[in-house]
Amino acid sequence: MSDTAPLVKIEGLHKSYGGVVKVLQGLDIEMKAGDRVVVIGPSGGGKSTLLRVLMGLEQIDRGSVGFGGKPYICANGNGKTTIDAKVRRSIGMVFQHYTLFPHLDVIGNLILAPMKVRGEKKAEAEARAMALLTRFGLAQKAKAYPAQLSGGQKQRVAIARALMLDPKLMLFDEVTSALDPELVAEVEQVILQLAQQQMPMVIVTHDMWFAKNIASRVIFCAGGVVVEDGPPEQVLGSPKEERTREFIERVFHIKH
Amino acid sequence: MNYSFDFASVFRNFGPLWDGLLVTVELTIAANAIGLTLGFGLALLVMSRFAVIRLPVTLFIEFFRCTPAIIQIVWFFYCVPMLFNVFLGSVTMGILALGLNLAAFNAEAYRASIQAVPREQLDAGVALGLNPFQRILYIVLPTAVRNSMPVLLTNGIGIFQQSALVAIVAVQDLMYQGKTLATQTYRPIETFTIVALFYFAVSFPVSQVVGYLERRREALAS
Repeated sequence: MSDTAPLVKIEGLHKSYGGVVKVLQGLDIEMKAGDRVVVIGPSGGGKSTLLRVLMGLEQIDRGSVGFGGKPYICANGNGKTTIDAKVRRSIGMVFQHYTLFPHLDVIGNLILAPMKVRGEKKAEAEARAMALLTRFGLAQKAKAYPAQLSGGQKQRVAIARALMLDPKLMLFDEVTSALDPELVAEVEQVILQLAQQQMPMVIVTHDMWFAKNIASRVIFCAGGVVVEDGPPEQVLGSPKEERTREFIERVFHIKH
Repeated sequence: MNYSFDFASVFRNFGPLWDGLLVTVELTIAANAIGLTLGFGLALLVMSRFAVIRLPVTLFIEFFRCTPAIIQIVWFFYCVPMLFNVFLGSVTMGILALGLNLAAFNAEAYRASIQAVPREQLDAGVALGLNPFQRILYIVLPTAVRNSMPVLLTNGIGIFQQSALVAIVAVQDLMYQGKTLATQTYRPIETFTIVALFYFAVSFPVSQVVGYLERRREALAS
């Protein structure tokens, strides 16, 4: 992968549910390795669907996604989607509702995939897991079960679990939306910490303060297309497009 | 009340009751072995995408769920030998009838708990690179088995009690021995009281375990 090649290259991406509900209607996005992209926009505008497509969780109607200069996802035209499972393994995702496995303790959640997918030794995986948990201030929770954790702790564990596979890109889908307000900061701190280490990421969020602080680039998505794309100061501060301005004003009015 | 209880004649004949209890426990264990394994297979088949598989299995399950167990037992005992010209002995027939009945009920318990595993859990599995087989093995199965455990155990004790029905086709279980003893001693009230205590002594501890598992599951669920 050369430095100039984009990390993610989305071309002509169309996605509908059952051909009726058109969610993504022709997306073209290029993302560089150093980008931290925040996707904002109204509900139903396709933000979460975009992340799910990037994670390889969805079939697509048309278009393609390249990753690291290689083809990753491709619509074959006959309704089938090819997803390169090897490429998919270099992407990590954190979901809105934690999705920790309830029957495994924290460390069990962290080491499952490294052991089963990569064949890593248990002791080795556990050592890496403990190092990550320590870094996230969760070392004393290693033996706790998900039900015994707060929402903020669960979400930090979910982030650590995704990091165990050394992803080259992290996807965050409204990871603080289900949290009590006082728990939001601890999760956002962890993501900011990752940002400082130059982890490429795509974030869907409704938290404009967070968006402003973490984004190197903001994409406003509505009606299944990219309406505006630019640095945070522009898109959040002085948007060019009327639709973006309306949305930003509405969001900030609700907030204040 | 003029009746004077006389348990002594029952206590003198504990031997046959013990033998009967042993048969009842054997029936229960064998029926549960069928019910737990076949039930899981049926649950997977009933969720099949293909109607050719799904419909006959659904019919099988609903037949056993929607007819009285006593009719199933009688049917197995009298109709199967006539129709198919096989007779496998009354205990085997009893086990088959009870086992298939239990499998039908357990299949529903398994199916419900497999379908109750949130889709997002599987998405997380994909995001972590687990292949479809690993997702079933490490994510769906542990959660589904744990969630269905209380119902499986309840069904299991249910079959312990239902097994009393095989007495009518001359399987020498606890109920059968009780009936015989009642006739011999002319003490039906005492005999059946003792028989009831036998059933209770086995069922009650198991149902307490079920209750404990249920509470623990609720505490862990989130």
